[in-house]
Amino acid sequence: MVVNTETIAGKVITQNLGVVGGSTVRAKHVGKDIFASLKNIVGGELTAYTELLEESRTEAIARMVADAAARGANAVVNVRFATSAVTGGASELFAYGTAVQVE
Amino acid sequence: MRSIGARVRTLTASLLLSVLLFSGVAMAQEGASSSEELPWMICCFGPFLLISLVFAVFGILWAFFYPIMFLYGVVFSERNLNRRMSDLVLRERASIEHFGKDPLSTLKGDHIIGGVKETGLVYASIVYSPSHWQLMIAWINQIFGGRIDVIHRVISVGRAEAKQRLREQAQAAGWDDVLNVRIDTAEMTPASKPKGTKAVEVFAYGTGVKFA
Repeated sequence: MVVNTETIAGKVITQNLGVVGGSTVRAKHVGKDIFASLKNIVGGELTAYTELLEESRTEAIARMVADAAARGANAVVNVRFATSAVTGGASELFAYGTAVQVE
Repeated sequence: MRSIGARVRTLTASLLLSVLLFSGVAMAQEGASSSEELPWMICCFGPFLLISLVFAVFGILWAFFYPIMFLYGVVFSERNLNRRMSDLVLRERASIEHFGKDPLSTLKGDHIIGGVKETGLVYASIVYSPSHWQLMIAWINQIFGGRIDVIHRVISVGRAEAKQRLREQAQAAGWDDVLNVRIDTAEMTPASKPKGTKAVEVFAYGTGVKFA
Protein backbone atom coordinates (compact mmCIF):
# COMPACT_ATOMS: atom_id res chain seq x y z
CA MET A 1 0.00 0.00 0.00
CA VAL A 2 1.54 3.28 -1.11
CA VAL A 3 0.01 6.65 -0.22
CA ASN A 4 1.23 10.22 -0.06
CA THR A 5 -0.79 11.18 3.02
CA GLU A 6 0.78 11.05 6.46
CA THR A 7 -1.60 8.42 7.72
CA ILE A 8 -3.74 5.80 6.07
CA ALA A 9 -7.37 6.53 6.75
CA GLY A 10 -8.99 3.73 8.72
CA LYS A 11 -5.65 2.10 9.62
CA VAL A 12 -3.33 2.48 12.59
CA ILE A 13 0.42 2.74 12.14
CA THR A 14 2.02 0.37 14.62
CA GLN A 15 5.67 0.57 13.66
CA ASN A 16 7.90 3.06 11.87
CA LEU A 17 10.59 1.36 9.81
CA GLY A 18 12.41 4.42 8.48
CA VAL A 19 12.80 6.23 5.19
CA VAL A 20 12.87 4.11 2.05
CA GLY A 21 13.59 5.31 -1.46
CA GLY A 22 14.04 4.17 -5.00
CA SER A 23 15.62 5.98 -7.90
CA THR A 24 16.35 5.42 -11.55
CA VAL A 25 18.15 7.24 -14.35
CA ARG A 26 16.79 6.64 -17.81
CA ALA A 27 17.22 7.99 -21.32
CA LYS A 28 15.57 7.50 -24.68
CA HIS A 29 17.63 6.51 -27.69
CA VAL A 30 19.04 9.20 -29.97
CA GLY A 31 16.35 8.78 -32.63
CA LYS A 32 13.61 9.68 -30.14
CA ASP A 33 15.71 12.58 -28.87
CA ILE A 34 16.04 13.95 -32.40
CA PHE A 35 12.33 13.48 -33.00
CA ALA A 36 11.53 15.25 -29.72
CA SER A 37 13.77 18.18 -30.64
CA LEU A 38 11.95 18.41 -33.98
CA LYS A 39 8.59 18.31 -32.19
CA ASN A 40 9.93 21.05 -29.93
CA ILE A 41 10.09 23.43 -32.93
CA VAL A 42 6.33 23.27 -33.44
CA GLY A 43 5.54 22.93 -29.74
CA GLY A 44 3.09 20.67 -27.95
CA GLU A 45 3.43 17.48 -25.97
CA LEU A 46 6.70 15.57 -26.30
CA THR A 47 5.23 12.08 -26.08
CA ALA A 48 8.58 10.29 -26.02
CA TYR A 49 9.62 12.17 -22.87
CA THR A 50 6.22 11.73 -21.22
CA GLU A 51 6.61 7.99 -21.75
CA LEU A 52 10.17 8.10 -20.45
CA LEU A 53 9.11 9.79 -17.23
CA GLU A 54 6.14 7.48 -16.80
CA GLU A 55 8.41 4.42 -17.11
CA SER A 56 11.03 5.85 -14.75
CA ARG A 57 8.41 6.77 -12.19
CA THR A 58 6.92 3.28 -12.21
CA GLU A 59 10.39 1.82 -11.80
CA ALA A 60 11.37 4.20 -8.99
CA ILE A 61 8.14 3.36 -7.12
CA ALA A 62 8.73 -0.37 -7.64
CA ARG A 63 12.24 -0.05 -6.20
CA MET A 64 10.96 1.93 -3.24
CA VAL A 65 8.31 -0.71 -2.56
CA ALA A 66 10.93 -3.46 -2.80
CA ASP A 67 13.10 -1.58 -0.29
CA ALA A 68 10.12 -1.27 2.05
CA ALA A 69 9.23 -4.94 1.67
CA ALA A 70 12.82 -5.89 2.51
CA ARG A 71 12.41 -4.04 5.81
CA GLY A 72 9.25 -5.95 6.55
CA ALA A 73 6.84 -3.06 6.00
CA ASN A 74 3.37 -3.48 4.58
CA ALA A 75 2.81 0.16 3.60
CA VAL A 76 4.70 3.28 2.55
CA VAL A 77 3.26 6.60 3.68
CA ASN A 78 3.97 10.24 2.84
CA VAL A 79 5.56 9.48 -0.51
CA ARG A 80 7.34 12.36 -2.31
CA PHE A 81 8.94 12.60 -5.71
CA ALA A 82 11.99 14.50 -6.85
CA THR A 83 13.18 14.98 -10.41
CA SER A 84 16.51 16.17 -11.66
CA ALA A 85 17.79 16.45 -15.20
CA VAL A 86 21.28 15.02 -15.19
CA THR A 87 22.05 15.73 -18.83
CA GLY A 88 19.93 16.76 -21.78
CA GLY A 89 18.23 13.49 -22.63
CA ALA A 90 18.42 11.65 -19.32
CA SER A 91 16.43 12.28 -16.18
CA GLU A 92 16.80 11.04 -12.66
CA LEU A 93 13.68 10.13 -10.77
CA PHE A 94 13.65 9.64 -7.03
CA ALA A 95 10.70 8.45 -4.98
CA TYR A 96 10.91 8.32 -1.21
CA GLY A 97 8.61 7.76 1.73
CA THR A 98 8.32 6.26 5.19
CA ALA A 99 8.00 2.51 5.50
CA VAL A 100 5.50 1.52 8.16
CA GLN A 101 3.60 -1.41 9.58
CA VAL A 102 -0.14 -0.80 9.62
CA GLU A 103 -3.05 -2.68 11.10
CA MET B 1 17.43 30.46 -33.22
CA ARG B 2 21.13 30.76 -32.70
CA SER B 3 21.57 27.20 -33.86
CA ILE B 4 20.66 28.04 -37.47
CA GLY B 5 23.89 29.96 -37.86
CA ALA B 6 25.86 27.09 -36.40
CA ARG B 7 24.12 24.63 -38.74
CA VAL B 8 24.84 26.77 -41.78
CA ARG B 9 28.48 27.03 -40.73
CA THR B 10 28.74 23.27 -40.28
CA LEU B 11 27.03 22.75 -43.61
CA THR B 12 29.35 25.02 -45.56
CA ALA B 13 32.43 23.69 -43.80
CA SER B 14 31.51 20.09 -44.47
CA LEU B 15 30.58 20.85 -48.07
CA LEU B 16 33.95 22.54 -48.63
CA LEU B 17 35.71 19.64 -46.94
CA SER B 18 33.94 17.04 -49.05
CA VAL B 19 34.64 18.97 -52.29
CA LEU B 20 38.30 19.24 -51.32
CA LEU B 21 38.51 15.56 -50.48
CA PHE B 22 36.70 14.56 -53.65
CA SER B 23 39.08 16.57 -55.80
CA GLY B 24 42.02 15.20 -53.82
CA VAL B 25 40.90 11.64 -54.42
CA ALA B 26 40.25 12.39 -58.11
CA MET B 27 43.66 13.97 -58.51
CA ALA B 28 45.33 11.06 -56.80
CA GLN B 29 43.44 8.72 -59.09
CA GLU B 30 44.60 10.61 -62.17
CA GLY B 31 48.15 11.34 -61.02
CA ALA B 32 49.03 7.96 -59.61
CA SER B 33 48.84 5.52 -62.45
CA SER B 34 50.12 2.78 -60.21
CA SER B 35 47.15 1.10 -58.53
CA GLU B 36 48.90 0.81 -55.15
CA GLU B 37 48.37 4.45 -54.19
CA LEU B 38 44.58 4.61 -54.55
CA PRO B 39 43.50 2.26 -51.71
CA TRP B 40 45.83 4.13 -49.38
CA MET B 41 44.09 7.39 -50.20
CA ILE B 42 40.65 5.88 -49.68
CA CYS B 43 41.71 4.31 -46.40
CA CYS B 44 43.01 7.65 -45.22
CA PHE B 45 40.21 9.94 -46.34
CA GLY B 46 37.26 7.55 -46.70
CA PRO B 47 35.99 7.78 -43.11
CA PHE B 48 36.31 11.57 -43.06
CA LEU B 49 34.54 11.76 -46.38
CA LEU B 50 31.70 9.61 -45.09
CA ILE B 51 31.31 11.61 -41.90
CA SER B 52 31.33 14.91 -43.73
CA LEU B 53 28.79 13.56 -46.21
CA VAL B 54 26.47 12.57 -43.38
CA PHE B 55 26.88 16.01 -41.82
CA ALA B 56 26.25 17.67 -45.17
CA VAL B 57 23.05 15.68 -45.78
CA PHE B 58 21.83 16.41 -42.25
CA GLY B 59 22.69 20.09 -42.64
CA ILE B 60 20.86 20.36 -45.96
CA LEU B 61 17.78 18.62 -44.53
CA TRP B 62 17.88 20.81 -41.43
CA ALA B 63 18.32 24.03 -43.44
CA PHE B 64 15.38 22.98 -45.59
CA PHE B 65 12.98 21.67 -42.93
CA TYR B 66 13.64 24.05 -40.05
CA PRO B 67 12.02 27.11 -41.72
CA ILE B 68 9.02 25.00 -42.74
CA MET B 69 8.51 23.67 -39.23
CA PHE B 70 9.10 27.10 -37.75
CA LEU B 71 6.44 28.57 -40.06
CA TYR B 72 4.10 25.74 -39.13
CA GLY B 73 4.66 26.75 -35.50
CA VAL B 74 3.98 30.40 -36.32
CA VAL B 75 0.68 29.55 -38.00
CA PHE B 76 -0.64 26.68 -35.92
CA SER B 77 0.87 26.70 -32.40
CA GLU B 78 -1.70 29.19 -31.05
CA ARG B 79 -4.53 27.27 -32.66
CA ASN B 80 -3.25 23.95 -31.28
CA LEU B 81 -2.99 25.47 -27.81
CA ASN B 82 -6.55 26.81 -27.95
CA ARG B 83 -7.82 23.52 -29.31
CA ARG B 84 -6.19 21.57 -26.48
CA MET B 85 -7.63 24.06 -23.98
CA SER B 86 -11.20 23.66 -25.23
CA ASP B 87 -10.73 19.88 -25.42
CA LEU B 88 -9.59 19.92 -21.78
CA VAL B 89 -12.68 21.84 -20.69
CA LEU B 90 -14.88 19.12 -22.22
CA ARG B 91 -12.89 16.29 -20.63
CA GLU B 92 -12.92 18.05 -17.27
CA ARG B 93 -16.68 18.42 -17.46
CA ALA B 94 -17.06 14.72 -18.29
CA SER B 95 -14.99 13.55 -15.33
CA ILE B 96 -16.65 15.99 -12.91
CA GLU B 97 -19.96 14.53 -14.07
CA HIS B 98 -18.62 11.01 -13.38
CA PHE B 99 -17.44 11.82 -9.84
CA GLY B 100 -20.27 14.22 -9.02
CA LYS B 101 -17.65 16.85 -8.03
CA ASP B 102 -14.00 17.63 -8.67
CA PRO B 103 -12.25 14.58 -7.16
CA LEU B 104 -8.90 16.30 -6.64
CA SER B 105 -8.21 18.03 -3.36
CA THR B 106 -5.24 18.91 -1.18
CA LEU B 107 -7.06 17.80 1.98
CA LYS B 108 -5.54 15.09 4.14
CA GLY B 109 -8.69 13.03 4.49
CA ASP B 110 -9.72 13.97 8.06
CA HIS B 111 -13.00 15.31 6.70
CA ILE B 112 -14.18 11.89 5.49
CA ILE B 113 -16.91 10.76 7.86
CA GLY B 114 -17.98 7.31 6.75
CA GLY B 115 -14.52 5.77 6.72
CA VAL B 116 -12.25 4.51 3.96
CA LYS B 117 -12.12 1.03 2.48
CA GLU B 118 -8.98 1.20 0.35
CA THR B 119 -6.17 3.62 -0.53
CA GLY B 120 -3.42 3.83 -3.11
CA LEU B 121 -1.14 6.13 -5.07
CA VAL B 122 -2.34 7.82 -8.28
CA TYR B 123 -0.01 9.73 -10.56
CA ALA B 124 0.05 11.27 -14.02
CA SER B 125 2.51 13.38 -15.94
CA ILE B 126 3.07 15.28 -19.16
CA VAL B 127 6.02 16.90 -20.89
CA TYR B 128 4.81 20.00 -22.68
CA SER B 129 6.83 22.41 -24.77
CA PRO B 130 6.30 25.84 -26.30
CA SER B 131 7.10 26.16 -30.00
CA HIS B 132 10.19 28.04 -31.12
CA TRP B 133 7.91 30.82 -32.32
CA GLN B 134 6.40 31.17 -28.84
CA LEU B 135 9.89 31.11 -27.33
CA MET B 136 10.84 33.93 -29.68
CA ILE B 137 7.83 36.01 -28.61
CA ALA B 138 8.74 35.33 -24.99
CA TRP B 139 12.29 36.45 -25.68
CA ILE B 140 11.02 39.71 -27.19
CA ASN B 141 8.67 40.18 -24.20
CA GLN B 142 11.59 39.63 -21.85
CA ILE B 143 13.32 42.70 -23.24
CA PHE B 144 10.42 44.92 -22.19
CA GLY B 145 9.67 43.02 -19.00
CA GLY B 146 6.27 42.50 -17.44
CA ARG B 147 3.91 39.63 -18.04
CA ILE B 148 4.94 36.91 -20.45
CA ASP B 149 1.55 35.59 -21.41
CA VAL B 150 2.63 33.07 -24.05
CA ILE B 151 4.70 30.91 -21.73
CA HIS B 152 2.15 31.31 -18.96
CA ARG B 153 -0.53 29.86 -21.24
CA VAL B 154 1.65 26.97 -22.36
CA ILE B 155 2.51 26.02 -18.77
CA SER B 156 -1.06 26.30 -17.54
CA VAL B 157 -2.28 24.08 -20.36
CA GLY B 158 0.39 21.53 -19.39
CA ARG B 159 -0.67 21.70 -15.76
CA ALA B 160 -4.38 21.41 -16.56
CA GLU B 161 -3.60 18.40 -18.76
CA ALA B 162 -1.66 16.71 -15.95
CA LYS B 163 -4.53 17.32 -13.52
CA GLN B 164 -7.05 15.98 -16.02
CA ARG B 165 -4.93 12.86 -16.58
CA LEU B 166 -4.85 12.38 -12.81
CA ARG B 167 -8.66 12.51 -12.77
CA GLU B 168 -8.80 10.00 -15.59
CA GLN B 169 -6.30 7.70 -13.85
CA ALA B 170 -8.42 7.86 -10.70
CA GLN B 171 -11.51 7.10 -12.74
CA ALA B 172 -9.82 4.14 -14.44
CA ALA B 173 -8.60 2.74 -11.10
CA GLY B 174 -12.05 3.18 -9.56
CA TRP B 175 -11.14 5.62 -6.78
CA ASP B 176 -13.90 7.81 -5.33
CA ASP B 177 -11.67 10.72 -4.33
CA VAL B 178 -8.07 11.86 -4.64
CA LEU B 179 -6.55 13.39 -1.51
CA ASN B 180 -3.38 15.36 -0.81
CA VAL B 181 -2.75 16.23 -4.46
CA ARG B 182 0.68 17.69 -5.24
CA ILE B 183 1.68 19.21 -8.54
CA ASP B 184 5.39 19.34 -9.36
CA THR B 185 6.75 21.34 -12.24
CA ALA B 186 10.28 20.58 -13.37
CA GLU B 187 12.32 21.84 -16.26
CA MET B 188 13.49 19.21 -18.72
CA THR B 189 16.53 21.26 -19.70
CA PRO B 190 19.25 21.53 -17.08
CA ALA B 191 20.72 24.98 -16.52
CA SER B 192 24.13 23.67 -17.53
CA LYS B 193 22.88 22.83 -21.01
CA PRO B 194 20.69 25.74 -22.09
CA LYS B 195 20.61 24.85 -25.78
CA GLY B 196 18.70 21.60 -25.37
CA THR B 197 15.01 20.85 -25.71
CA LYS B 198 12.92 23.49 -24.00
CA ALA B 199 10.05 21.85 -22.19
CA VAL B 200 8.34 21.72 -18.83
CA GLU B 201 7.49 18.53 -17.10
CA VAL B 202 4.38 18.54 -14.93
CA PHE B 203 3.80 15.71 -12.54
CA ALA B 204 0.63 15.40 -10.48
CA TYR B 205 0.17 12.80 -7.77
CA GLY B 206 -2.17 12.08 -4.92
CA THR B 207 -3.75 9.39 -2.79
CA GLY B 208 -6.80 7.70 -4.20
CA VAL B 209 -9.40 6.50 -1.71
CA LYS B 210 -12.47 4.31 -1.88
CA PHE B 211 -15.23 5.16 0.56
CA ALA B 212 -16.58 2.41 2.74
